[in-house]
Amino acid sequence: MIKSGLQDKTASASQSGQTAAVTHSVRIVDCGAVYLCGEHETLLQGMARLGKKGIPVGCLNGGCGVCKIAIRSGAINKTGAMSRAHVSEQEEAQGVVLACRVSPLEAVEVEVVGKLKKAVTRTPWGAIVT
Amino acid sequence: MTVMRIGHVNIRVMDMEAALKHYQNVVGMKITHQDEQGNVYLKCWDEWNKYSVILTLSDQAGMNHIAYKVNNEQDLDALQKKIEAHGIQTEMLPEDTLPFVGRMLRFNLPSGHDMRLYASKECVGTDVGSTNPDPWPDDLRGAGAHWLDHALLMCEMNPEKGINKVADNTRFFIEVLGFFQTEQIVVGPGGAIQLASFLSCSSKPHDIAFVGGDRPGMHHLSFFLDSWHDILKAGDVMAKNRTRIDVPPTRHGVTRGETIYFFDPSGNRNETFAGLGYQAQRDKPIITWTEDQAARGIFYHTGVLNESFTTVYT
Repeated sequence: MIKSGLQDKTASASQSGQTAAVTHSVRIVDCGAVYLCGEHETLLQGMARLGKKGIPVGCLNGGCGVCKIAIRSGAINKTGAMSRAHVSEQEEAQGVVLACRVSPLEAVEVEVVGKLKKAVTRTPWGAIVT
Repeated sequence: MTVMRIGHVNIRVMDMEAALKHYQNVVGMKITHQDEQGNVYLKCWDEWNKYSVILTLSDQAGMNHIAYKVNNEQDLDALQKKIEAHGIQTEMLPEDTLPFVGRMLRFNLPSGHDMRLYASKECVGTDVGSTNPDPWPDDLRGAGAHWLDHALLMCEMNPEKGINKVADNTRFFIEVLGFFQTEQIVVGPGGAIQLASFLSCSSKPHDIAFVGGDRPGMHHLSFFLDSWHDILKAGDVMAKNRTRIDVPPTRHGVTRGETIYFFDPSGNRNETFAGLGYQAQRDKPIITWTEDQAARGIFYHTGVLNESFTTVYT
């Protein structure tokens, strides 16, 4: 279930002066990683802040699409625009969203859809990238 | 019949207010025009034409078109003939199709990107003027970017299917637009596949670049700063503004450029790029980075290239 509508800018997840301490557990079903994510930050920010891996980290601003996830359970809040080049309205309505653009309202389970690691090893960059 | 420099880039943003804050407060640009459709036009302090970035509100990020300036109107007509002879359809857009710009030649690159050429755009002067000027203006903001320096475009590449839009674009830019190759990254047996291509139409190490990837797009647009100290300060500005930094201050092997990569609020990658590297000339031997050292060509200090460099872009 997604609560849509942009968050008030003063409560934006990028503000470091947040006093909100409410956190919820986030479970990435693919790798089993579990982490605590604050209501004031996006799922991706929460994961990156703790140095966890599991969801690919890209631009963190809704434009590049690599952090695409499917919400398996739990309510989330949409915090900003997601590029329609990567998430259609239908997908969004079905809970397929960008992890950098949603924050948790309760405990959440997600599945990674973004295919960052898809076939990098088979591309011309395969021998070059880490 | 030469292309002189990059003229402007039109990018899509999903939140105009956030984008304007970013390009003004972090990059240091100023708004010079807004049109009736809501597009916003910005320029850097050391540029003399009306604008170098056009922001368009959209439901997605990425680049709409890239435009380069040519010397005069006759050049536009001559280039139209050359481009069509190369097999690419063109369209001559009338004066004022874009505000403050004369006629514009529009066409698609072999990679599919929308490119324009124009001869005239209104001259408003740099912020320090042209009479007994100071070296910099008093109202510098954020990183204080001098000018829009270049863009790097992602081009489809699939050697198994025989697709290499990096090579196709390179051939077009050299044979038709009169650019010259300064550097390249090559891979595969005998280094036969051109994976990244850097081209100049001036004496800068690059005025445009192409890199191979899954799909066409814009990797970054780049703003020029003078020196390593300016790069450090730009990084501080980004931190103050909680800008998402992609790659903290380092040096590129390619172009020797000092750099920070960061994202605008819609995920479009920007670069602050410092140093003139070397003097690029048509007879300077082309620099080639081989597969085993290509990562150092991109990030000279660590020699490590994350896959996000080739997969995260708009």
